[in-house]
Amino acid sequence: MPYLFLAPWLLGAIGLTVAPMVVSLYLSFTDYDLFNEPRWVGLDNYAKLFGDDPRYLDSVGVTLTYVGWSVPAKLLLALSVALLLNSLRGKGQAFFRSAFYAPSLLGASVGLALAWRAIFDTWVDTPDTALVTIVLLSAWQFGAPMVIFLAGLQQIPRDLFDAAAVDGAGWWRKLASITLPMLSPVLFFNLVLETIHAFQAFTQAFVVSGGRGGPADSTLFYTLYLYERGFTEFRMGYASAMAWVLLVAIALITAVLFRTSRYWVFYGDER
Amino acid sequence: MRKAMALVLGGALVAAGCGGGSGSGGQAEIRFIWWGNDDRAKITNEAVKLFESRNPDVKVATSFQNFQNYFEKLSTEIAGGNAPDVIQMDYRYLNEYAGRNVLLDLTPYVGKEIRTADWNAGFAGSGKLNDKQVAMPLAQNATTIVYDPKLFTAAGVPEPRIGWTWSDYKEIAGKLKASTGISGSTDFGGTEDVFETWLRQRGKALYRDGKLGYGKDDLKAFWQLSKDFRDANATTPAELVTTLNAGAEQTPMGKKLSASEHSYDSLYGGYNTVRPDELKLGPYPSDSKEVLGSYRKPSQLISASARTKHKDAAVKLIDFLLNDPDAGKILGANRGLPANLKIREAVAQNLSGANKVIFEYQKSVDAKLGDAPPAPPKGDGTIYKLMQRKHEEVVFGKKTIDQALDEFWRDAEEALK
Repeated sequence: MPYLFLAPWLLGAIGLTVAPMVVSLYLSFTDYDLFNEPRWVGLDNYAKLFGDDPRYLDSVGVTLTYVGWSVPAKLLLALSVALLLNSLRGKGQAFFRSAFYAPSLLGASVGLALAWRAIFDTWVDTPDTALVTIVLLSAWQFGAPMVIFLAGLQQIPRDLFDAAAVDGAGWWRKLASITLPMLSPVLFFNLVLETIHAFQAFTQAFVVSGGRGGPADSTLFYTLYLYERGFTEFRMGYASAMAWVLLVAIALITAVLFRTSRYWVFYGDER
Repeated sequence: MRKAMALVLGGALVAAGCGGGSGSGGQAEIRFIWWGNDDRAKITNEAVKLFESRNPDVKVATSFQNFQNYFEKLSTEIAGGNAPDVIQMDYRYLNEYAGRNVLLDLTPYVGKEIRTADWNAGFAGSGKLNDKQVAMPLAQNATTIVYDPKLFTAAGVPEPRIGWTWSDYKEIAGKLKASTGISGSTDFGGTEDVFETWLRQRGKALYRDGKLGYGKDDLKAFWQLSKDFRDANATTPAELVTTLNAGAEQTPMGKKLSASEHSYDSLYGGYNTVRPDELKLGPYPSDSKEVLGSYRKPSQLISASARTKHKDAAVKLIDFLLNDPDAGKILGANRGLPANLKIREAVAQNLSGANKVIFEYQKSVDAKLGDAPPAPPKGDGTIYKLMQRKHEEVVFGKKTIDQALDEFWRDAEEALK
């Protein structure tokens, strides 16, 4: 009987996630053009990725640059605004919370990216600044981590601050010694989530660059290159190999983040 | 337990089955997709409606994209087993798709269900690959220079005319910039269509026997020509290069940032929507007295999916769009000169607006137009983008012409494998 209740999820998980993943793993060892039967080529796709495809390495560079700038920028913005809103307590907090969240509601929408294109017209068309506009676009959508930060801030017991105030601690001291340590689990959660998201960014870059990762490959995100290989050059086996490398890379980076978390994340119940 | 599980699964399957099937019996539902803009969509939908009213047993769902995204969408749909039944096709992608057995062989229908009596046989043949009719050309177009005659007058320079050379163009474009402040031409070095026209003027071709039909020196000279234009302040600045292949409203010409632009005459409808009655079409500059380089190109072709469930309905729609006089009247010259010569004549009788400009242009260069080369080989779609990208790297100063050339050569040969 429990399986009956699990069935909807189970069917979805197997049909929509596990099966396609297994198929794509298989395809990553083949030469597959979408229309004809896949042909087994062993590790060729993987060998070519790292040995003989400078554009691939470029796309890795672009993606790492994007992750390295957009994640800290977004988290910093989210945390600052959350701190500001938290100090408002009651005085229009609900209104501003919604207002700052609004850009995130629009999500990775095409309309938004088009608007961005129009606003940053020449920036978008110049290689040195095109990526900056996409980082800005992503940082501007800081609503989701902000709301989570805000919830975390409101969980911190007031008496900690009161005690600190009695001891003569100023704003900075309270931030460094109470707020940040108490907030570190939330910060960690946001960091992991946003990092994973950033690696998978696609829509913004696709629309802002007109689907080409241009100008001159300056916004050639990993996912964009994957899409180009798979769907415009019909090298689906190669694209599958790229997808698996990305999956493993994200898993590794997440694992590293978890490893470091023991040194800076404070769960309250520890000494 | 097992019974309950089976029941749920069965229910899901039945539900899925119902969603996918075409419930009403006897009626064929087909899907037709094309690329273009709003004005093309309007008249195409009008023609499709007329088709539906004449064929009540066929329903046609339509959709369109701009050219840039069209083939990505199409390949995704085909890969997903959800291929449209009737597909507008590009000459450049013909081999890409037909070579992968995605397009229905129309040979058995040609001359019967698809009438070709009023066609130029050579032109109909441009939809053939290895003696199989995998597409029918919808209309004919040719490369052209779109320009703004007011700016030419204001700068006191002559308008494009047969016999002008590339160095004339450079000089004129430089003067345009100097006296009007608006760029005289759009940067063309990354556009394969321009390169092809230029190559043909020198007696060469993009491809021969499935390989590149030109040498490194040719492309180097072409990129150098484009650089000469930039150095002479005769073309658009670097950041405008990236917008060349978008819709007319996004090109430098559409945004009034350039006085002339390399293009196809069949795109004039799009330009005319953005800048009504302001622009004219002129011939390409050529350093050769005899050859203009432009040719009678199938501007678009139309194919059916090899996996369509409604072959007859798809073929019927194709014939209607190509050969029905009323459809011809509605469609006009929006896709270029109609392939059916009787319809072309009928349309020519009653010309106005954009159609008139396109017809008059083609008439003025007709004697100089060449025949279409065989459809480009598989991989040309990739090379098209590659040329754009490598040229961009040159324009933005990321690479020298020689570096970009070496990389282009390596990747182009790889794409043709």
